[in-house]
Amino acid sequence: MRNSWLVALRELKERLGSRSFVGMMIAGPVLILVLIYFLFAFGGEGQQKWNVLIADPTGIMDKKILISADPDVNYSFANGYVEMNEFRDAKQFREFDALVEINEKILSNKLSFVFYRENPSMRMQTKIRYQVERRIEEVMVSQFTDLTIREFRKVKQPLNMAFRNVYDPMDEASDLRGWVGLFYGALIFAFIFLFGMTILRSVTREKSNRIVEVLLATVHPNQLMIGKIVGIGIAAFIQFVVWMLFVAIGLALMRSYVFPDLFDPSHVVAMGEHASDSFFAATEYNQFVDLVYERIQFGTMTFYFVLFFVVGYLFYGAFFAAIGATSGSESDGQQFVLPLIFLLCFALYAGYYSLENPESGLATLFHYLPFTSPVVVMVKLSLGYAPGHAYEIWMSLIILLLSAAGVLVLAGRLYRNGILQFGHRLRFGMLLRWMKRM
Amino acid sequence: MLEVQHISKSFFRKTALEDVSMTVREGEIFGLLGPNGAGKTTLIRIINKIIDADRGVVRINGDLMTQKHLSMVGYLPEERGLYKSMTVEDHALFLGQLRGLSKRDVKMQLDYWLEKFTIGDWKKKRIEELSKGMAQKVQFICTVLHEPKILILDEPLSGFDPVNVELIKQELIEMRAKGKLIILSTHNMKSVEEICDRVALIDQSKKILEGTVSEIRESRKTGEIAIKFRGSMIAFVNALWTNFELVDKEILADDRFIARLKTRGETNFDDLLRAMMGQVRIEAVWEVLPSMQDIFIDLVTPKTEGTHA
Repeated sequence: MRNSWLVALRELKERLGSRSFVGMMIAGPVLILVLIYFLFAFGGEGQQKWNVLIADPTGIMDKKILISADPDVNYSFANGYVEMNEFRDAKQFREFDALVEINEKILSNKLSFVFYRENPSMRMQTKIRYQVERRIEEVMVSQFTDLTIREFRKVKQPLNMAFRNVYDPMDEASDLRGWVGLFYGALIFAFIFLFGMTILRSVTREKSNRIVEVLLATVHPNQLMIGKIVGIGIAAFIQFVVWMLFVAIGLALMRSYVFPDLFDPSHVVAMGEHASDSFFAATEYNQFVDLVYERIQFGTMTFYFVLFFVVGYLFYGAFFAAIGATSGSESDGQQFVLPLIFLLCFALYAGYYSLENPESGLATLFHYLPFTSPVVVMVKLSLGYAPGHAYEIWMSLIILLLSAAGVLVLAGRLYRNGILQFGHRLRFGMLLRWMKRM
Repeated sequence: MLEVQHISKSFFRKTALEDVSMTVREGEIFGLLGPNGAGKTTLIRIINKIIDADRGVVRINGDLMTQKHLSMVGYLPEERGLYKSMTVEDHALFLGQLRGLSKRDVKMQLDYWLEKFTIGDWKKKRIEELSKGMAQKVQFICTVLHEPKILILDEPLSGFDPVNVELIKQELIEMRAKGKLIILSTHNMKSVEEICDRVALIDQSKKILEGTVSEIRESRKTGEIAIKFRGSMIAFVNALWTNFELVDKEILADDRFIARLKTRGETNFDDLLRAMMGQVRIEAVWEVLPSMQDIFIDLVTPKTEGTHA
């Protein structure tokens, strides 16, 4: 135990002293914060400014639209009918990205067609629908009522239908939250891969510079392997904690200094006449902000992240150590990492699959399969477990833990038998023999 | 006392050691000799518990050797390495603590050895800054840092310049005087003759020879006599007549020679002296013992039909 700890401390010291580790410690959270910044700043924006032609032959809209200066959309009006083919082919319409057809029936059937050249983003679709709808609403209010538009809007009760999971009634953005779970799972696997490769390189380096023989004269191979995995694991954990700390501080700073208006309710009220337009934009604009600051349960997610990260790392780390020990050279070892990379990629796919089909039988299998459970549990956790089903997380964790123990035992045998073999070509039969040998 | 009893080891149908036994005592430098691939390193690894023997046991002072005995052992493997990015001190601390020393003791011991080898200023140097010879010294220090009772050194002199070879040899002699049990695996036969008390020769996985250096050399002698004289070589050869055979000669000066002779029939040392009396001026006469190098080559060179050792 003492020897394993000494080996772990040496590994940890080496990692903490390496430039790449310190570099990643800073670069990682900076990258995440930059990504979050862009999601906040441009998350709701389309790729380009759209030129929209409204064909309004009966002049219903009177060449007016509520938003006169939308930075994303520029509206123009045509007095006559514009056929789809004409819009598509005629030279004078080339400058327009979309055609909105407003015919005389719109006041009765409430139907309008929009023809576009390039698929508009969801945000752009919502924007055009919203802005045209508002103008039609104005026309209808003036034609069919005696109310002013302001009076109408006061009495108008828009009905928002929120579709909610009976087991998770507070969850209004489960799909986005599911992606957050997948992000957490991907983070686990990114760390496992990065630091698994560190284990592999560390083992092969000790083999190639032959210090391993000096160590083995004092330390049992299993102690050496465990020490190595634990030491590098602690380094990975420190890296993660620092990342989370930096990201948390960065988010707090962003909230206070970079996007203060996104969190200030008075900002929306003060908008006056166009308050609701701005509010519409703000709520959509803030979807990520809302998700990051309000909806993600960082405490719970991080708790389970740590648990599954630790056990998942032990599970995969043992594979990396065994590959390092059994390979004849560093390049040989890297070649044998390929199947592990496939497994890690498969786990990510399993996470995505579980996000799309959370209740399917396969998702349940992936939830308990040790190769995939760290990422699938994260996804399911973010989507929400049904009340009384939290035991599923612990069952998955126990299976992963037992599997990790089994893999560590097997990896220990491979490590013990392979660590002093140099320059050989690794064959599957050889691995089997080493695995059988105590 | 370290006893190796009937050790056998195979790797996937290839026999590395076959029924090898030997005993090494305290206050003794024991030479473990053999050509490359003979099984020496396998035996050393078994003694160090790095690998397990298929059959046979290793005992220390009568007890079966276990993991707990390893703190008594200092092992310097032939293929030795160091962590290049670590400083000499950190390296010593890591290996010293693994062998059961406290941080304080490691630092004290390290200072002692660095001082002894007059390399005190290396302490904070990173291993990658050291030359090969310097790194070898650090490896040697790390091996003896915990004052082991048993030292197992595989080619400890390789990579050193002659001055440092002498330094290490003197250290080993000092350690022997302090009662340490030292196993020295080397191909440097000159060193074997100089510092080893007893040797064992392993060839093709079997022990083929064991004994003290002098016993072995004595037992392998061929009756050769060397004579150092001043005078005429022609007169010397004439005086030999048919009783002695001139094997080799070395010219030291115009009239000074060393000649190696073999006796024929019943002639002996006294006959030689009598024959030379008045013919040349004898400066020294001695019995030629085969060098360990010659014995080694003779024993491990594959014999063709019709020749024998």
